[in-house]
Amino acid sequence: MDFGIRIKDRHMWALFVLPGVLLLVLVLGFPAITSLSYSIKPEKAGAASYTLSNYANLLKDPFFSKTFWNTAVFVFLSVASHIILGLAVAVVLNRALPARPLFRLIALLPWVVPDVVVGIIWKWMYDPIYGALNDVLLKIGFISTPVEWLSNPKLALFSVILVNLWRGFPFVMLILLAGLQAIPRHLYEAAAIDGATKIQSFFHITIPGLKKMIVVALALDIVWEVRRFGLIQAMTKGGPGVLTEVLSTYTYKQYFQFFRFEYASAIAVVMTVVLLLVSLPYIWMISQEE
Amino acid sequence: MKKIGIIGICTVVVLALFCFQPAAAEVTLRFSDWHLTEDVWNKSLNEGMAIFHKRYPNIKVTLEPVSYGEKETKYTVESAAGRAPDVFHVHAFSLPMFFGKGFAKDLTPFIEKEGPGFLDAWYPLPLKLMKHNGKIHAMPGDYMTMVLFYNTEMFKAAGLDPNKPPKTWDEFLTYAKKLTRDTNGDGKVDQWGFGTLGAKSPGFSLRFGPFIWSFGADYLTPDMKRSALDSAKAKEAFAFFVELYTKHKVVPPGLTAMGAQDVRTQLAQKKVAMILGSGWTPPIVNKINPDLKAFEVLKAAPAPMKRKQATAIWLSSWVMSPNTKHPNEAWELMKFITSKEIELKWFVDNRVTSSRKDVSGVAPEILNDKFASVLASQLPYGKVEPQIKQWPEIMDTFTTSLQEAVVGMKTPEKALAEAHERINAILAR
Repeated sequence: MDFGIRIKDRHMWALFVLPGVLLLVLVLGFPAITSLSYSIKPEKAGAASYTLSNYANLLKDPFFSKTFWNTAVFVFLSVASHIILGLAVAVVLNRALPARPLFRLIALLPWVVPDVVVGIIWKWMYDPIYGALNDVLLKIGFISTPVEWLSNPKLALFSVILVNLWRGFPFVMLILLAGLQAIPRHLYEAAAIDGATKIQSFFHITIPGLKKMIVVALALDIVWEVRRFGLIQAMTKGGPGVLTEVLSTYTYKQYFQFFRFEYASAIAVVMTVVLLLVSLPYIWMISQEE
Repeated sequence: MKKIGIIGICTVVVLALFCFQPAAAEVTLRFSDWHLTEDVWNKSLNEGMAIFHKRYPNIKVTLEPVSYGEKETKYTVESAAGRAPDVFHVHAFSLPMFFGKGFAKDLTPFIEKEGPGFLDAWYPLPLKLMKHNGKIHAMPGDYMTMVLFYNTEMFKAAGLDPNKPPKTWDEFLTYAKKLTRDTNGDGKVDQWGFGTLGAKSPGFSLRFGPFIWSFGADYLTPDMKRSALDSAKAKEAFAFFVELYTKHKVVPPGLTAMGAQDVRTQLAQKKVAMILGSGWTPPIVNKINPDLKAFEVLKAAPAPMKRKQATAIWLSSWVMSPNTKHPNEAWELMKFITSKEIELKWFVDNRVTSSRKDVSGVAPEILNDKFASVLASQLPYGKVEPQIKQWPEIMDTFTTSLQEAVVGMKTPEKALAEAHERINAILAR
């Protein structure tokens, strides 16, 4: 069919790529640029057109620094525990178990449930009066009085991380399971013939074979965890005090509760920069492969 | 023959003009309210909209539910995009932010068209709060006071007279201590005197208002330029509240994670004997646990006092989006949902008192109701939170400090002093 437009073959690629590029610009570029432009607008009407005062105010905001630290702890412990538990479960589910597909499905379930639902369920499980967790621990004599999981300043953040461990490990497990299945069986058989123990095989065959997948899982999980919002909002709303406040909940609060669009945008930009920096190794690795 | 033909054609044309006149165009309005997510209210609102549609057959109303916690988020985003519902329902304390961003339409032209005296039916205070730059930008909705709800059976079991609720905070503490008990004899407390919110929630300030104001203190100075939390009375009120949990232990554990529904569940499950609530409390508690027979067992009393009778007022408001394409029809809808007839329906169905004097002040349905009569009696002592755009941030800062004191991270004095400094910094910004 002749539409009256003639495009040389060597330029055809641009035509195919164009819709995708336009879509990306629309759904990613536009909000990003809008957010960036908001972040350099003054909060006070009538002040200078553009300013860096929102970024300067971030440095002076005591809640922001605490929130940044909380985010770092939350992300580090969440991701580390996801990798450890995800790897352990992936290794188990990679074995020839009876009803293996069923176990794989069960292991995936926590990841399927929406964040907010997980938060609400666990808030009830942690409840000092009605909560199932305290009830079980009291009955087995592990504790003598109910624990205030979400109100105790020493426990609140770790209680949220514990839920996040349960919530997020299947994602890592799934990636690592795919990696495990790609490791040739004969490597293990050869190692066994050479007298290698299972632990030696794990450290000298499994881990090196999973290296790339671990980097992928790390990068993606870090990005996920920095953005984690619904879980914390449903469980603690950042409390007690600001002990469980993280960057995502703090940004939400500044934007939608306090209507500080400009300041919230500055926080969002900082978050984006941090996430980009974290993603660099992943991007580098992908580009190396190509 | 030719003449007959012409007459025939003319007749057909005339008939066609009469018979096939296009019907007046149907207008569709978008109406959003968090109440649509609540069973009792949802039914009531649907009935109300059916009545409206009967009276205005050319106006179709589509209902958009939104969760209580997400309403500001939804309306902010949609307003910024120029796609907010034509009419929506928000807290009065959210209004300054909506006004400041130009997300509420000026209703003055519509009110002027209604003629003089149209607004006389409303209480002056809610009307005052609907104004932006001296002009009405929203219509007042639910108007209720916070009062003390208590379980009469639990009072009796603790040896307290259910007809003599506590009148002062000191008396309240004595009652709360008696009501904090081990009911099953296992040596552990399983019932507490008082249930209250401690989570960061818009509902917290409603529950703390009766404390701070009756102690004679306030959050801000009268000009709303500075924090007033450094007063001795504010310190006393703050410490009293914190110590209910930390020292007297008359509040159940886990306070900082407790939201409004958690506390109502505690009352419904007989874990606490007293809570601060309003018109919505009995139906919700009844819904959580019908076996309690909330309408029979619960009683309401004015919030206890320290130096003066004072309580917090809950006020909601109806906003018309400035982007509405059908402002006249949207106004008809707003007028309808705030009319005397429908405000009375909201009360009968949902037990919420109205910001209309000719409903809350005179309707026998309200004056003879054991809960609503107490709510209405407290309107003269009601106080609203400061209507400034920084209020949500100020309240969040205050609650953060209160939580730090409650969980023992800081002493009440230090936590309040920090809140005072931070609030001053917010106001100076």
